[in-house]
Amino acid sequence: MDILQYLLDALTPLNLVLALVGVALGTLIGALPGLSATMAVAILVPFTFTMSPASGLIALGAIYTGAIYGGAFAAILVNTPGTPSSIATTFDGYPMAKRGDGGLAVTLATLASVIGGLVGAVTLLLLAPPLADVALSFGPTEYFWMAIFGLTLISALSVGNTVKGLIGGCLGLLLSTIGVAVVGGDVRYTMNTQMLLGGIDVTSALIGLFCIPVVIDLVANKAPHLTVLQDDRGYRMGDALRIALGSKLNMIRSSLIGTVVGILPGAGGSIAGLISYSEARRSSKHPERFGTGEPDGVIATEASNNATVGGGFIPTLVLGIPGTPPDAIILGALLVQGIKIGPSLFNDQGNVVYTFMFGLLIATVLMLPVGLVMGRYAYKSIVHIPKSLLVPTVAFLTVLGSFAIHSNAGDTQMMVLLGIAAWVLQRYGFAPSPIVLGLVLGQIAEQGFVQTYMIGNATGGMAAMFFGRPISMAIIGFALLTLFYPLIATLRKRRLKQAAVERTDMVVEAAPSTQRPYRDMPAIVFGVVFLVVGVLAYMQTKDMSAMGSVFPGALAVALVLLSALLIAFQIGRPAAPRSVDVSAEGKPSTARRSAIVVALVVWAMLMPLLGFFVTSLAAFLVMIAIASFERLTLRVMAVYAVSAVVIVGAFHLLMTYVLNLRMPLGLLF
Amino acid sequence: MRRFNLRTLAATAVLGGNLALGLALPGSALAQGFPSKPINYILPFNAGGESDISARFQQSVFKQVAGVEVVIQYMAGAGGAQAWSQLNSMPNDGYTMMGINLPHTVLQPLQKEVGYQTDDLTPINYFHYTPDAIFVVKDSPFKTLKDLIDYAKKNPGMVTMSGSGSNSSNNLAQVRFDELAGIKTTYIPFSGTGPAVTAILGKQTVAGFNYAPSGIAHADKMRMLAVAAEKRMPAFPDVPTFRELGFELVGGAYRGLSVPKSTPQDVRQKLSDIISAINAEPGFKKKMEDGGFVLTDIGNKDMPTFMAEKKKEYAALAVKLGIKKQ
Repeated sequence: MDILQYLLDALTPLNLVLALVGVALGTLIGALPGLSATMAVAILVPFTFTMSPASGLIALGAIYTGAIYGGAFAAILVNTPGTPSSIATTFDGYPMAKRGDGGLAVTLATLASVIGGLVGAVTLLLLAPPLADVALSFGPTEYFWMAIFGLTLISALSVGNTVKGLIGGCLGLLLSTIGVAVVGGDVRYTMNTQMLLGGIDVTSALIGLFCIPVVIDLVANKAPHLTVLQDDRGYRMGDALRIALGSKLNMIRSSLIGTVVGILPGAGGSIAGLISYSEARRSSKHPERFGTGEPDGVIATEASNNATVGGGFIPTLVLGIPGTPPDAIILGALLVQGIKIGPSLFNDQGNVVYTFMFGLLIATVLMLPVGLVMGRYAYKSIVHIPKSLLVPTVAFLTVLGSFAIHSNAGDTQMMVLLGIAAWVLQRYGFAPSPIVLGLVLGQIAEQGFVQTYMIGNATGGMAAMFFGRPISMAIIGFALLTLFYPLIATLRKRRLKQAAVERTDMVVEAAPSTQRPYRDMPAIVFGVVFLVVGVLAYMQTKDMSAMGSVFPGALAVALVLLSALLIAFQIGRPAAPRSVDVSAEGKPSTARRSAIVVALVVWAMLMPLLGFFVTSLAAFLVMIAIASFERLTLRVMAVYAVSAVVIVGAFHLLMTYVLNLRMPLGLLF
Repeated sequence: MRRFNLRTLAATAVLGGNLALGLALPGSALAQGFPSKPINYILPFNAGGESDISARFQQSVFKQVAGVEVVIQYMAGAGGAQAWSQLNSMPNDGYTMMGINLPHTVLQPLQKEVGYQTDDLTPINYFHYTPDAIFVVKDSPFKTLKDLIDYAKKNPGMVTMSGSGSNSSNNLAQVRFDELAGIKTTYIPFSGTGPAVTAILGKQTVAGFNYAPSGIAHADKMRMLAVAAEKRMPAFPDVPTFRELGFELVGGAYRGLSVPKSTPQDVRQKLSDIISAINAEPGFKKKMEDGGFVLTDIGNKDMPTFMAEKKKEYAALAVKLGIKKQ
């Protein structure tokens, strides 16, 4: 039978080696924040010109799926999504690692990624032609509502802190409008700088918002970065399997969501992860555990983002419409190979397509051993590396990653700026996740909205356009459910409790009278600041075209209203008594944290002037000093200095000669 | 005042850098034996678009023609302005060249401060363009361009046209076509060729202005009503040009190579010759033409005339689009 022949073709030693090397290389690149799946695939393309089409595709598919998976490492171990696909992995993965379950989280992420990847790849193998049309049934309206659905997660992420969460969401959405608008071509909020013309890059913003606060807080005291359990039991495969089996429904649901979202050309791994996370939380028996280290959160995100790989290949191979950005590059590579895309591909060149699909399946399976070994190694090195080296290394990776995305030092400066802002905001109850959601979903929401509006306007059916389309209606339904589910759940719980009371006549103790919270002065200050930001943002919309001003205008108004609400709430509360002083012992070191902030800023500013290697090495050494809590012996100092040269040098070579990135043209090098 | 100071500082820094490089690399002696090492080919866009695909086609035969490899790098941002504004501060030894596009590099500086002026850039060879074309989905009631025009005349504004981006070549073509045909259509900008084509295939819009290569990738799902090429394209022998149908619409996105301004003239010529030689390579030519690209041979020597012509053409269109400096 043909199909079996294709499987055998995929199993040639060369293809197996390609799949193995591809997965390993992809995992490594994905694990480094800022180096994305797209970049990994782009580097490999020229090498595939000399291979047979099927082998080339297998190598590309393997590196792609590896990179999506590798993003989980950074998310779990240093709270930084290695790629945007693993944003939601940070929500629970990092708390797990903090409390000592890092090894378990990595193993779970591996299992989930493999399962998700398999579901996606099997769907690709069996159902590609019929499913491809899903890609076409999503129009601007559906993308708009899907983005709104994603944004409803803010309400779940900021329970008890809703106003601050919504303000964060508005800020993120406003940040997403900076730069040249795709629809309308307006230049918005650039403050006449060239740096902001290209907008804020999502990946560099992610690195800043999630990782810089971690770096700053690392030097606050000398406690280790992650807790290590006394009896570190390695992979904890048994535990992981038990948890994974218990969550098989979540696993399958998330994999299916990932596959379908992968098929949609306008969405991708990040949206798939967020939606699956949201659904896992909604259907969980313990939604309140999400965000504090719930394994189901990691499973949902990782299963779905790897499922987008197989899903994304469906429209790519069947319709010639790339499902995700890496697919666009793979499509280009196929064209250069002289392969004609389209439904006929499956008949005329079935050998290439099916061999590739089996190759992708094999690569996904290989991810299990490769991922476990690499994950174990990554975990061990993060745990065992002394803080004096961990802090500069992580800081170095943030600078390197944010620069690597567009070879642009401006991105690095923006990353540092956003990171410091996030650290300050976080201390006063404004979490980074809502800002990130706004930033990631903003453009999709705006483009979808304006396009729908224009089409509705031209064809004279505005309401029908927004609300009358069946898929849209379903998405709106899900969004409403997510938004109000916490409310429904509380009501139902209360009713159950009441029923219990009536039945047993038991005297239920009144809930411990939660003292009315005191006035939160900083919140008022931030409220005023955001109010002013909102007013300024609104005033700037005057110069924009009608198309370009609708969305930022509405956001500015929302920001003003929410800020006013925040201020009003706080003023209504009693003033706080003179606060009790925190005992000096264990007090976080302000000096060290300030020093780290200064070092980061100077680093980012000098890098384009003096050159990448010189500034990075200098900053690395300074940070070793900042992060060292004991007096270092001469020997240790020498070891650290050598490590600094090796780490900075190795990455510099990697960036210049392997990734072909253009380093800043400074005075030195 | 502050702004001025910063600019002076930047200019001094750039000048200093160039001087330093100039000392290190004696300019004119370079052309002999050029090229002798891999050439960096910077694309001002992300991977996966038409610029990337055509560069990859070139890459696959570059060694064979020039004797050295070409290394493709990406520097996306601000619709290309990020990279173009930095081009002149890059090494001028001919081992750094950058993709350059029209109408982008004419329209962007007209619209806003993007860090470069059209004349700051030094194109050495425009090697192809992708003509604009009107597409409808295969089962659309519009069989010919005339069907579409007749319908649009009866229903002003009702014909929605998807296209890639605002103030892009697609957008320009739509504005020009409306004027030439005396109709009014509604242009819906999307964030690239992919989403714009998806909108046509998914019947989100009535039709679309897109680039000709889309007609290859989606040959069995979309119909090309007319193409803005000078003559019928080998890949689409049955698709009439706008010109044949009486509309003077020829244009699309042009792609070429540029170098830092201080690159010596003989090195520019040599690079331009390499690009032209690649264009003449039969395998490359066939692949590009089969892919819906139209090869052009506008080399280093023809550049001043070509640019003068294009600048005049786009400036006039910019007025029609309502582009003015912000």
